[in-house]
Amino acid sequence: MNQILEKLVSFLSRLFTALSAILLFLVIIFIARESLQIFREVNFFDFISGISWNPLAREPKAGILPMILGTVYVSIVAILISLPIGIGCALELAALENERLKSFCTSVLGVLAGIPSVIYGFIGLLVVVKFLEKNFLLAAGESILSGGIVLAVMVLPYIVSSAAETMEKSYKQYKEPSLALGVSKSYMLRALILPNAKGAILTAMILAFSRAMGETMAVMMVIGNSPILPQLLGKGETIPALIALEIGTAGLGSLHYHALFSAGFVLMMLLIFLNALLYLIKKNLTENLH
Amino acid sequence: MKKKLLPAILLVASLAFALVGCSNPTGATKPVDDGKAQFKSEIKFYGSTTLAPVLSQLSQLSQLSTNFNEHYGTWDKVDSQFEKKDIAIYVSGAGSSAGVKSVIDGVSDFGMASRKVSADEKAKIEGYQEFKLGMDALTISVNPNNNLTKLKDSLTSDEIKKIFSGEFKTWHDVDPSLPATDIVVVTRDIGGGAHEVFQKAIMGDSQIRADVIQAPSMGALVTKIMENENAIGYASYGMVNQNKGKLAPFKVDGIEPSAENILSGTYKISRPLIILKKGTLLPQEKAFMDYVVSNEGIDVIEKLGFVPNK
Repeated sequence: MNQILEKLVSFLSRLFTALSAILLFLVIIFIARESLQIFREVNFFDFISGISWNPLAREPKAGILPMILGTVYVSIVAILISLPIGIGCALELAALENERLKSFCTSVLGVLAGIPSVIYGFIGLLVVVKFLEKNFLLAAGESILSGGIVLAVMVLPYIVSSAAETMEKSYKQYKEPSLALGVSKSYMLRALILPNAKGAILTAMILAFSRAMGETMAVMMVIGNSPILPQLLGKGETIPALIALEIGTAGLGSLHYHALFSAGFVLMMLLIFLNALLYLIKKNLTENLH
Repeated sequence: MKKKLLPAILLVASLAFALVGCSNPTGATKPVDDGKAQFKSEIKFYGSTTLAPVLSQLSQLSQLSTNFNEHYGTWDKVDSQFEKKDIAIYVSGAGSSAGVKSVIDGVSDFGMASRKVSADEKAKIEGYQEFKLGMDALTISVNPNNNLTKLKDSLTSDEIKKIFSGEFKTWHDVDPSLPATDIVVVTRDIGGGAHEVFQKAIMGDSQIRADVIQAPSMGALVTKIMENENAIGYASYGMVNQNKGKLAPFKVDGIEPSAENILSGTYKISRPLIILKKGTLLPQEKAFMDYVVSNEGIDVIEKLGFVPNK
């Protein structure tokens, strides 16, 4: 009886693993199928390098370069802001001896990650956008910068949690030798823990980057959604925002519809590429350790 | 080995069926189907985000005590001929065009549209029926702190066109006594129902400027105007009424966006609020639609700031 149960469990787990793997491929195939049709009308190179987006005009134009750049730009700004904060926070958490304070901080970060993105977007609209309007004398505060700031807060927990894990391990490892040598805590953090966590920081960065690229709602609310080439203090549009805004009104099977799917396809390829990079780095790291 | 595979497959199959069962919103109360056509207890509304709150208020539990669900709860209380089943009315907003599309594709029971349904679209719907609930208008609104409101209370179509097309870049271009601060133009998504109405009524063949802020919802558009002194946008009439004093609507070509002008069609930028249906209504659908067009329905439409069709 037990044996049957065991076989069954192993069979089921294999089945569901296969299902979830197949699901990924089905999604890719579906999106690819829906998006490839546009390339009968628009050349692929024109599609990703064109700078005007107007699929509903009499002479439809579908160029998504502004959106690709906007997506990357916003994510880079977000990482630039959150990486220093995140690393500092992770170092502090790793070196924190007070367990209660530590678990409190960790759970605060957990809650930060759990806040729905539309809330972030709303706060961004009322606080960040307003702040930029007042202090940078902008007519409209909707900009790449405001998108970057909102995203920076959103990806912070991801950076902290993935960096803190490794740092904590190496802190435990080097704590006693450092104490024995009479090295100060700050020197230990700077000279031992930080260089040791290089790989983890890089992983955290890529993870946060791909998370930032896919974020839709919060960015859409604060970035202005103008399909123009992005500037730090100017408006822009990201690929997820473009799709979310327009897919509801795109006629089924129209050029507009296929163009949106193709934009999604490009985004997905970018993300897969980033994930592959992440995998390679992780593999390299574990091999170096052994 | 082979022998053990069969029970495993059976178990997986039964598990799959169990999971399918979960997706049924009526749950375990599903009566045994004895050859009769099953009584449909759900009605799905899909489409315009402007109309969605109206129908949700009418159908879902809300602060209003006069709504359909709270009154009746189960269908048999609406009419004794109906079966005793929970009333389930689902409303989801996704835009007018999506609403029309859903009716064409037959994935919803009713579509909601806050624009005219084109002849092309009507041709694709067999047995097309529509229920006109009322009218909404797009008002050309600015922030009350905008000094333009002190200078004039009416804009001509041509001025609006120049502002939205980018020919007027700063408020100074609109009126020489105003400072040269940039005009912040806020629109809904280009290609959506609201923009289509605006494009037809004002822009004609002119293109809207490229660097407008495309707000993801009418609420976001209005928030932007309330937050930014340099913003101008087409806030819906309902929204202006819900936020009295926080928005300053202009007359268009000297005509005020008032209930009478909107209903008579004198005010240019207006749009109908329509519920559309493919084919005939089931008795329970008819019961609900009767309720929607009743006095209580009109009340809700009015409360949300639209102009009901009386």
